[in-house]
Amino acid sequence: MPAFTAADYSAIFLSLKVAVVATLASLPFAFAAAYIMTYRRFRGRIAVDVAVNLPLTLPPVVIGYLLLILLGQQGFIGRMLLQPLGIKLIFSWKAAVIATSVVGFPLMVRSIRTAMEGIDERLVHASRLLGARALDTIMTVIVPLSVRGIIAGSVLMFARGLGEFGATVIVAGNIPGVTQTIPLAIYEYAGSPGDDAMALSLCAVSVSISVVVLVFHEWLGRRVVRRD
Amino acid sequence: MSHPAARAILSFLFTALLAGQVLAAEINLSAAASLREVITALSGSYAKATGEVGFRTNFGASGALAKQIANGAPADIFLSANTEWMDYLKARGLIDKKSISPFAYNVLVFAGRPQSKVGGLQDVAKLERVAIGSPKSVPAGQYAIEALRRSGIEKKLENKLVMARDARECLVYAERGEVDGAFVYKTDVEEAGKGVKILFTVPQELYPRIVYPMGLTAEGVKKASAAAFFRFLQSGGAKSVIARHGFEVK
Amino acid sequence: MELRVAARKRFGAFLLDADFSVRGERIGVFGPSGGGKSTLVGIIAGLAGPDKGTIVLDDEVIFDSGAGRNVRPEHRRMGMVFQRPSLFPHLSVKGNLLYGFKRCPPEARKIAFDDVVEVLKIGNLLDRGVKHLSGGEKQRVAIGRAVLGSPRLLLLDEPLSALDDSLKFQIVPFLNEACEVFRIPYLFISHSLLEMRVMTDIVLHMAGGRVVEQTTAESLVRARMGEGKTGYINLLRLPEGRGVDGLYAFDWGGQRLLASSGNDQPGALFELSSRDIILFRGRPEAVSARNLLKCRVVDVFETGSRVGIELDCCGNRLVAEVVGQAAEELGVRAGGEIYAAIKATAFKKLG
Repeated sequence: MPAFTAADYSAIFLSLKVAVVATLASLPFAFAAAYIMTYRRFRGRIAVDVAVNLPLTLPPVVIGYLLLILLGQQGFIGRMLLQPLGIKLIFSWKAAVIATSVVGFPLMVRSIRTAMEGIDERLVHASRLLGARALDTIMTVIVPLSVRGIIAGSVLMFARGLGEFGATVIVAGNIPGVTQTIPLAIYEYAGSPGDDAMALSLCAVSVSISVVVLVFHEWLGRRVVRRD
Repeated sequence: MSHPAARAILSFLFTALLAGQVLAAEINLSAAASLREVITALSGSYAKATGEVGFRTNFGASGALAKQIANGAPADIFLSANTEWMDYLKARGLIDKKSISPFAYNVLVFAGRPQSKVGGLQDVAKLERVAIGSPKSVPAGQYAIEALRRSGIEKKLENKLVMARDARECLVYAERGEVDGAFVYKTDVEEAGKGVKILFTVPQELYPRIVYPMGLTAEGVKKASAAAFFRFLQSGGAKSVIARHGFEVK
Repeated sequence: MELRVAARKRFGAFLLDADFSVRGERIGVFGPSGGGKSTLVGIIAGLAGPDKGTIVLDDEVIFDSGAGRNVRPEHRRMGMVFQRPSLFPHLSVKGNLLYGFKRCPPEARKIAFDDVVEVLKIGNLLDRGVKHLSGGEKQRVAIGRAVLGSPRLLLLDEPLSALDDSLKFQIVPFLNEACEVFRIPYLFISHSLLEMRVMTDIVLHMAGGRVVEQTTAESLVRARMGEGKTGYINLLRLPEGRGVDGLYAFDWGGQRLLASSGNDQPGALFELSSRDIILFRGRPEAVSARNLLKCRVVDVFETGSRVGIELDCCGNRLVAEVVGQAAEELGVRAGGEIYAAIKATAFKKLG
């Protein structure tokens, strides 16, 4: 196997970093979205449903472009909020995190929702009658009983994040050491004559990480089952 | 023969034969992205003058094009933005050695928004984000890296370089303001419009002369129409068009 | 405990329109399935809101649509036991029991953990998970969990319906004792008159979403005596029996009863149909039935085509049932003396 350059190690590290941060940052929002969609009835629920699932059906490049328009120098949020605060999101690793989070969000919400909908409603009622307020019920009943969905959703988001390309390349750019994740690095190598070996090596790394993640997910799922 | 499937097959064969005839007069060009306008102009006027010749042109990063040709993509003439990829195809016997000659020369510049106050490489060292074509596959990017290294500011720009697919993408980033400026060819800026302008020309001593070699491929050499067009590209008439597009011709 | 409800709620085609005021410690809500019982309990607990109305418990207004007042379920201090135990699967038995206890402010805790564990006899289950408990064990834990929250009213929504007969009447004493020892009033919902008789003093009879009458289980049973096939079911709580000549002898208020089915648990319940009691005006010389009781007639009442005769036998009450003509022939009247003959096989053990 050919030796990796510093930029390659950077790419591996960045991929992991972006995927982990995106997963952790999305968890509270995804949980909140799943909770609202499962337990609250309100007008416009369908609109929320559609909005949350939209990234699943849009090509990632479209998502990237829409994010660019929104968050860029001339974008709505860019002009109103980011520029006055001196925050430049485009072409930074944070933009990569945002792109990954948006793309993976519906997957996470879906997993958590499935788990939540499987919780017997009477358990929630019992908890309330025993004196637990809404947040208490969430922390002591709903979260423990939807843990499997939360884990599954996190793993899905993480895995999707490792492979994110379309949205990332548009909104975070291809900056070695800063935003060049494994897929972007492979893309670069693939466009360069004579660098097939490097591209393949990075592919091997990508596959290995995915295998580790999937094995971990299985193991974690089993541990949760055994405790019951 | 009234069976619908049989009729469909016959029509297809007929069209293919005709197409074959047309293909014989069609010339496949693979040219570096930065040559898009000038090649389009030259092939257009040539087609009008000679009447029956058609062109299929493929523009892109020279490295990507070279790989495509090496993998069997059809091409009669290859115009690269860098000798490296011409050599790559020459080594694999895919280019007619005798035909390799310079098509044009170009100059590296630093471009950005008109209101930008960047005057030289020392100013560039202080910027946040700078776009260059990915050196792994874009010659303009390789030249830029060379210039940065020789001028000693490469380290200062570590982690600040945004890799683009080609020079054109660099300029889009610059125009949008997502980067503070971009290293591109002089010819790219001339076509980019009012959003970007040349801020300064990179001193020639910092990078090797940018040559655009052209050559007939192993297939192209066998095609009379391709060879004829190739000779046209070396003519004085062609050279004046090339110069008008901002390139240097000697 | 005093509960006043005046509330309406519409569910599609069904309308709950409850208007009643009741005072007591052991209240029942009786009615057929779909009659609105569970809906009523739901709005009392605060799990669903009425469209309009007021709910007042012990002088506290817990719901008033006019004043915009709606006390949330977690603040209503009510306990609930469901038809299916609904124990938290991710907590141990102890964790379940303490769930409500921990959320009750220390100064409001009137009931101690160890006492509840002892009364419900669940000490040996404390560290176990809840998945593999038997139905009866789960329900006892559910009762304990509800009680440990020191509720001021316990809502029991068909808590025995999912248990088989023998189990039902094993749980009943636990329920009764828990509520008596810890002095918790309860609202007991069921479609079984038998459960009503055993668990409640006052019954709210619901049908079609309304409370049609406030009565006692006893009256309801007597009113139905003539309709059913089994007549009025007398319920006897008999102490431990002694075997005698292939039968069991029980001490019943000074008299001796002989029954053919045995019992080794003190205080088990026995059924005796009113139709299995044969009455004699004078003492018969010999009779095949092994039980012959001298009784005083307390009350004579008519229901439909039958006549019910309430008898007092040394302080215990029995109801016998005869056709109208037989009553005339016997010349029964309140205060008179009469003899009741009961076969040993007529007693059926419950549970």
